[in-house]
Amino acid sequence: MKLLLVEDSVRLQRSLASGLKQQGFTVDQAFDGEEALEFLKVNKYDAIVLDLILPKVDGLTVLARLRANGSDSHVLILSANDQTEDRIRGLDLGADDYMVKPFSFDELVSRLKALNRRRSGVKNPVLEIDGVRIDSVSRIVSFNDLTIALTRHEYELLEFLVRRRGRVFSHDQLIDQLYDASSYVTRNAVEAHISSLRKRLKATGAPSLVKTRRGFGYLVE
Amino acid sequence: MYSIRTKLNVSIISTLIVVLSFTAVFLHTRIKNHVVEVYDSALYDKSQALISLTELDEEGLEFDFAEDGVMTEFLGGDSPEYYQLWENGERLLIKSPSLGESDLPYTGTAEKKHRTADILLPDGRNGRLIEINFMPRVEVDEEDMAGLSELPQPKLITLVLARERVSLNKTLFAIRFTIIAVIITVLMVSTLLIWYLIGRGLIPLSSLAQQVSGIDESSLHARVQNEGGQIEEIAPIQYQLNHLLERLQSAFEREKRFSSNVAHELRTPMSELRTLAEVGQMVPDDPKQISAFFTDVGEISRQMENIVTTLLELTRSEAGLLRSDPEDIELSRFCDGVWMQAVNGMDACKQLVRQIPADLIVSTDREKLGMILKNLFINAVSYSPEQAEIQLSTELQNNQVMLSVKNIASDLKPEDLVYMKDRFWRKDKAKGDQNHSGLGLTLVEALARILQLDVHLSLDNNNVFIVTISGFHVVAN
Repeated sequence: MKLLLVEDSVRLQRSLASGLKQQGFTVDQAFDGEEALEFLKVNKYDAIVLDLILPKVDGLTVLARLRANGSDSHVLILSANDQTEDRIRGLDLGADDYMVKPFSFDELVSRLKALNRRRSGVKNPVLEIDGVRIDSVSRIVSFNDLTIALTRHEYELLEFLVRRRGRVFSHDQLIDQLYDASSYVTRNAVEAHISSLRKRLKATGAPSLVKTRRGFGYLVE
Repeated sequence: MYSIRTKLNVSIISTLIVVLSFTAVFLHTRIKNHVVEVYDSALYDKSQALISLTELDEEGLEFDFAEDGVMTEFLGGDSPEYYQLWENGERLLIKSPSLGESDLPYTGTAEKKHRTADILLPDGRNGRLIEINFMPRVEVDEEDMAGLSELPQPKLITLVLARERVSLNKTLFAIRFTIIAVIITVLMVSTLLIWYLIGRGLIPLSSLAQQVSGIDESSLHARVQNEGGQIEEIAPIQYQLNHLLERLQSAFEREKRFSSNVAHELRTPMSELRTLAEVGQMVPDDPKQISAFFTDVGEISRQMENIVTTLLELTRSEAGLLRSDPEDIELSRFCDGVWMQAVNGMDACKQLVRQIPADLIVSTDREKLGMILKNLFINAVSYSPEQAEIQLSTELQNNQVMLSVKNIASDLKPEDLVYMKDRFWRKDKAKGDQNHSGLGLTLVEALARILQLDVHLSLDNNNVFIVTISGFHVVAN
């Protein structure tokens, strides 16, 4: 799940980004509204964690411009403003969720995952396909009660494709989804992850799930 | 609780009832007396007619009115009248045939006097009588006079004349009825008119009440209108209410700003601490990251400590726990020392341009002045452009020194000056710089108050922000 974290506090950015990455999110960081808008011009995010009081361009303006541009990314406002009218204004402008600082990191993660489930239209946090069970909460993949050990990127790749069954994704789209903007990754890395994922699935007797459409990319049918 | 309208109505109508009742009684009495007077006058005239028809001649008393066919009303019939005459109050001379066996009452009045009174007539009707004394007229012909040795001597005669008073009673009843009817009508019409007019008169007050009751915390921007033009009685209430609303709105907005600012200044570091703690637990085996987290925790703690310390100072100052302990201070050297402390540890390379006479000595509290200047210097350095100069100068006025700190503040707007002394106010709440919490100028103001100094903020046309502190007592110059 790819996130844009927009927060002007350097310390909060540092700890939040670290924690979210630990939880398997791909995180881009913006420290002011202007920078956030730049990120949004070139990248597509599953969710945006947005502070309201930001230097240069405030959070509500960022949100309004995002929605005006037709973006359907989920937006979770993370703000110190706890007044009801602030929440209403944020939600009315198109935010999907609102959390008041100070907050529980675990709750933030859960809310982001819930937003992701809402996005894919699958409400059950446990995905199942051809006997392969993907628990998106514990991030454990199993087949016939056998746990399949996957790396973070392999898991992200599998969950991403399973949540979007039937859709083909190119190398670039998958790179964009799995890595943050500051990473330099080649298409070979994606191929390596796909290959490794298939092998690990096969090792437990599970179907490989990820199919190749030559010239187009990969999909889970 | 009572209604002004009801109270006014009840008071005015009660007063009106009393006034009209007295008027009615007075009128009735006057009219009744007059009517009775007229009636008695008619009775008196009739008695005079009887008297004029009574004469004394050589044959004795003659009562011409008693002759047949002269005054038939005394004979009897449906509505007879009565008379009775006595001589010297003792001897009955004559009485009307209508009396039959009955007598009229005789009381005895002085000569040439008369008395009127009510009476129950022999036939059972209410009547009115007049009792009058007179000397009969002596009527002797010249021819007869020759044969008389002396003229007959008249004696005092008392006449009592009585007649029914039914017509009088009817007239009095009609008068009474008319007065009561008029009073009741006037009262009813007045009540309606008073109710309506008071209601109309109280419309501005009702409108005021309606407007005021419609105001709550969400509509403090509303102002009370003096509907129906400038009403003298309402204008001061309207003015005071609007003034109160303005102050209330301002206090609410200030409170709201304060809550919002507190939320930002305190919630954000708390979020940072909480996230650092929660995320730190997730990476126990990453010493580099844990170390960075601890560094952040240290910074946050210092930042929160600064806020708490400043808030405590403010609270102590407001509670009157801080006292001024004045001493002689060589201002120029003192400012240099504070400047060095303020910029120590700050990355900015800014210069203090000081224009303070070297021998200027003022009397004030060293520690508190140091805190004031340190806050002003830190603000000036933090919010002025890179390489900017901070100017510090003094001016002597009436043996008092005015100290000014000037720096360019490009982002500042004149309207910001109103809020700058508010707690937690910051031009840009976004935390580019986490060393400021928006309490500096609030503390400066509070400390200056203890030192009996005035702090004035201004912004000139070139966006130079000037903090002027006035009221220093000069010891030597």
